[in-house]
Amino acid sequence: MKFLRSSALTLAVGYIGLGLAALALFAAPLWYAWRVTIQEGRNEILQSDALRLTEVFRREGAQGLISYVNTRVGMQIAGERLLLVADAALNPLAGNLTAWPASVPANPGTYIVKVELDSRRTDVRRVTDVALVHAILPGGYHLIVGRDTERYLPLERRFWYALAGAVAILSVLGTFGGILIRRALMARIHGIGQTISAIIQGDLSQRLPTHHSGDELNTLSRTINGMLDQIEQLIDGIRNVSNSIAHDLRTPLAELRSRLEVLALTKPAAEHTFAEIDAAVADVDGVIRIFNALLRLAEIDTGLRRSGFVPVDLAAIAAAAVEFYQPAAELRGTALSLEIRGPAPIRGDPVLLAQALGNLIDNALKYTPGDGTITVAVRRAGDSSVEIVVADSGPGIPDAEKSKAVERFYRGDASRCTPGVGLGLSLVDAVARLHGSELILEDNHPGLRARMVMTQDTRQITRVARATSEEGELQHEPVYP
Amino acid sequence: MKVLLVEDNERVTQFVVKGLQEAGHTADHAANGRDGMFLAASEPYDVIVMDRMLPGDIDGLAIIEALRKSGKRTPILILSALSDVDERIRGLRAGGDDYLTKPFAFGELLARLDALTRRAQGESAQTKLEVADLRVDLLTRKVTRGSRSLTLQPREFKLLEYLMRHADQVVTRTMLLENVWDYHFDPQTNVVDVHISKLRQKIDADFERPLLRTVRNAGYTLTSHDR
Repeated sequence: MKFLRSSALTLAVGYIGLGLAALALFAAPLWYAWRVTIQEGRNEILQSDALRLTEVFRREGAQGLISYVNTRVGMQIAGERLLLVADAALNPLAGNLTAWPASVPANPGTYIVKVELDSRRTDVRRVTDVALVHAILPGGYHLIVGRDTERYLPLERRFWYALAGAVAILSVLGTFGGILIRRALMARIHGIGQTISAIIQGDLSQRLPTHHSGDELNTLSRTINGMLDQIEQLIDGIRNVSNSIAHDLRTPLAELRSRLEVLALTKPAAEHTFAEIDAAVADVDGVIRIFNALLRLAEIDTGLRRSGFVPVDLAAIAAAAVEFYQPAAELRGTALSLEIRGPAPIRGDPVLLAQALGNLIDNALKYTPGDGTITVAVRRAGDSSVEIVVADSGPGIPDAEKSKAVERFYRGDASRCTPGVGLGLSLVDAVARLHGSELILEDNHPGLRARMVMTQDTRQITRVARATSEEGELQHEPVYP
Repeated sequence: MKVLLVEDNERVTQFVVKGLQEAGHTADHAANGRDGMFLAASEPYDVIVMDRMLPGDIDGLAIIEALRKSGKRTPILILSALSDVDERIRGLRAGGDDYLTKPFAFGELLARLDALTRRAQGESAQTKLEVADLRVDLLTRKVTRGSRSLTLQPREFKLLEYLMRHADQVVTRTMLLENVWDYHFDPQTNVVDVHISKLRQKIDADFERPLLRTVRNAGYTLTSHDR
């Protein structure tokens, strides 16, 4: 049965079971207290009755007591009480017991003993537990005031009835509550299931219903919605990229095709043919380059490379990148400068970080006019992060285009006439995201400021400090101003 | 140079074997893992070019691992379409000496094979390098050409050292990026060319005979021979 497999039912049954167990544990001391109260109350009544009879004996003597007891038994005001007056030889003188019970101890006191009673109604003699007070009066007279304990059974039964009632109420309420909880839960789970079914059918815009409360289901729904957002974004990205790839590869391939076709048609002189073949190889290289860039991006996007994170010094990487691009900058007359203050340790992929920085510098070189300036800065931003900034004095990117600039294959109007395929900044952004950051493009008044903030690796700081103090100076480390 | 090519693609085989023969080398070819394994284990080769994905049950990495286990130390260049960094690392860990991804330029392959065989001959113990009248002392880090002492930046020195170690061989831009700058990516622009022309300014500009030459569609070579 489907109902029996419901987790809500299991939960309800579990709670009822727990409730019953708690009730049982709760009832045990209560039962003890109840019994003790009954016993003490009973003994007290018997003792005060015995006291009253002793008083009668003291006032009116043995005969007085005998007649008093006889009167009480005769008038049946003794009720369920057992009364017996006996002489020193334990011969019964008065009362509703026919003989002195042998089981009563010789010493006076309060006891529970087995006594044989004759039932007045049925004339059947039976043995029963009797609570009694045995008193020895002056002159050797013995007095018993007792009560059949069975008379108290209804009292005890009442306790069990009350307990059974509580169990019944708990079970009914628990079952009812379980059903209600199950219905509420099932309604929400059903809603989630329906939404997910719709998503499986292909409608990725669907989202799970959420409200403001912070209960578990709601939190789960929100997490799933976050996952869906990410999936939708990735799928959109893939769709866009596939479109862009098709579009961007068609251009160089068409060029290549026409080049080869012209060659086949015109059959020019060998020298010209070889030049054209070289150009065709260059065209193919361009296509391969686009593919390589895309493969690299795909590799980064899957996040697989995070497994290869090692402690790296961003300042050293920046210094190496600036050194690498310096001759190219000099050739153009652009001033490329580096601003670093001490090591900037993070955990990351050194190859990708170098490539990202290289792409930023490369980009800046491409768009900055000959006499411009480019500054690469790595500095600590706050206690636990490192900021990398590549700022140039080029034309910058209009605000409207900034968000699009990191998209794959996007090429701004300003870059139409420069070489490139529009993947450089996408790669930088992908690398930044892999390192838990993102590429922020800002205005440099004039020019572009590309900025990334990464989390500092604090464990490494102490290690670098130790290594530096031990070895004096690290090899291949840049000299910090 | 005697080369073994283990490769199942016919066009690539043709292209490589022909290229190697034109460059004056001899090349044997195996089209599957079993033959490749047999040839590599039984014949003495200077260098082996190994494809990773091969028909049959033995793949390239398995061959390399088996060869290394049996004590064969022939340099091996892995030629594969698997281009992820992780794949490269796996190839090199298995015992490969170099890794080139498809598609590739023949010039790049030849230059790398030259470098591998040269490395295998154990030339690294040298402390003084010499090409014509250009001399580099690796211990004192002094560079002289003829009677003149030249002043080089540390990175220029490293670049020159690499070129001198591979004198008379073609060295590609990718090889320079990987070995001089340790950059395992394509920096998109012609930055390497700029570094080369700066170095050329220092070592060749004032001298009659240029040593550092550009090889069209391939890279550079440092040589005293006229070709």
